[in-house]
Amino acid sequence: MSQISLSLRRRSAGVDRRFFAGETTAAAALFLILAAVPPIIAGYPTYILPQYMLFGVLAMSLSLLWGFAGIVSFGQAAFFSVGAYAMGLMMHQDYGFNPAYAGILIAIPAATLLAAVTGYFLFSAGARATYFVLVTLALSISAEQVAVSQSGITGGWNGLFVDRMELTFGPLGAVSLTDDARMFYFVLVIVICVYLLMRRLTTGKFGKVLVGIRENENRLTALGYDVAFYKTLAFALSGGVAGLAGALYATHANFVSPSLGGVLFSTQAVVWVAIGGRGSLLGALAGGIVVSSLTNYLSAVIPDYWQLALGFIFIVVIVFFKRGLAGLLESAFEALRHWRTAR
Amino acid sequence: MSALLRTEGLTKHFRGLVANDGIDFSLRSGEVRSIIGPNGAGKTTFLSMISGHLPPTSGRIWYRDREITSFSVVRRARIGIGRKFQTPTLFESLSAYENVELAVLRTESPPAKREARVNAALGTVRLAEGRDTPAQFLAHGQRQWLEIALLLASNAELLLLDEPTAGMTVEETAATAELINRLARERNLSIIIIEHDINFIRDLAARVTVLHLGRVLTEGPFEEVAADQRVREVYLGS
Repeated sequence: MSQISLSLRRRSAGVDRRFFAGETTAAAALFLILAAVPPIIAGYPTYILPQYMLFGVLAMSLSLLWGFAGIVSFGQAAFFSVGAYAMGLMMHQDYGFNPAYAGILIAIPAATLLAAVTGYFLFSAGARATYFVLVTLALSISAEQVAVSQSGITGGWNGLFVDRMELTFGPLGAVSLTDDARMFYFVLVIVICVYLLMRRLTTGKFGKVLVGIRENENRLTALGYDVAFYKTLAFALSGGVAGLAGALYATHANFVSPSLGGVLFSTQAVVWVAIGGRGSLLGALAGGIVVSSLTNYLSAVIPDYWQLALGFIFIVVIVFFKRGLAGLLESAFEALRHWRTAR
Repeated sequence: MSALLRTEGLTKHFRGLVANDGIDFSLRSGEVRSIIGPNGAGKTTFLSMISGHLPPTSGRIWYRDREITSFSVVRRARIGIGRKFQTPTLFESLSAYENVELAVLRTESPPAKREARVNAALGTVRLAEGRDTPAQFLAHGQRQWLEIALLLASNAELLLLDEPTAGMTVEETAATAELINRLARERNLSIIIIEHDINFIRDLAARVTVLHLGRVLTEGPFEEVAADQRVREVYLGS
């Protein structure tokens, strides 16, 4: 075995300072590239990328669960749709204050609460792996069905049209986000904030405990940790993040439909995280953006075969690059570092 | 001196099988106790009932004069009962340091104190040099020590060690005996050990409880137990 692969093999799967230094550089690069999009490539990319960034936020919400705690959820779309419908419904109300703020303020707690309640009952009952996946799948199906059946509120299959939000600053005035570039930068700022908050969370005690759950739940319990509490908290947080992404998606896309809460969308989130790299928040974020862009491109170029092509890419990544694109990049940097030291 | 741990009539049935049958047991603070017996004698079941991993069918358990029979594993760990399993149960992909850090994190947050406690625990079990090695790549003996380090770092006061020397070399086994005696002597830790290695039990020079068919056959110093004809018949061989 070569020295490079040996050093990779012997690396701990916990917090690696060099990896995080590398992730900081990569994150800065990604955000700078994104920030450069509107002035350089105006038009469709400036319009569509905020949606993909929000898909990236949804992917990060799953990465918190899957990458750190080892819990695979097929229910993230349900939380996303709760956030989207909260925003959609609030934007149709007139309470005399900014309805978008009300939408966000309701979207996050509503999605958090749904996840917390679901998580509490599942984790307290000791639900693990397959059982949890099945229940979260059912959650997605239920979310879609509720959106369809409650057509008086949700518009059923016709969905809800949602206006673009505006930012209001009390007496200081307001900024409309109907302009795509403004919306782009607003979403980018939110994405950066969510990424930084989640990263801070995952590099601290909470993140370490989640990694402990992924590694050996029984050992963690025997050390006195209330594993069900930490899992519920992680699930609730991931629900809240997904809800925020859904709320902003609704106002960006100007439309909310039942399929946002469905199994297909939940599965897409799993694919984004698997391809981006489930052990890294940035990998998940990039996975959401890159795979959505690729999907868009492939569906235009090979409209009949794009799903097949995407499926093929997914299989290749799962089989050959288990740590996703983030792991691939990390290995490349590691090899480069080793090559430099060897010279 | 009152007992740190006491069990009264501790019984465990698995359907028709009686694994433990009315065990009365007591352990003083700072005492090391070896539990020996043939396979199927109920040693691990007994330890599991003390750690909370198995609920007793009947009987009661007291720890520091407080009844803990209904306490969960988590609650028992939090009052100072630490369990080392028969097969090392570790955070496999994490380094030795990160393993111990998780044990410390529950009670200690300031990074400087945390690091000092982790390093101290690793030093105690002779793993200071292997601190960055993932647990899965440690030698078998080192894995056993790492699990003991987790218990030390979690501030456990009663250590339940299930076959701590399994897979160890003669030197490692001797070092483990020395470590256990040192922990009891210097830190006043109470330790219950299940072992099959009679040389190790002799080196510990602790009181021995012999289990047979789920019951306490006899109890006493090693020499006394080893000379007991009943123990020789059921376990040691004549």
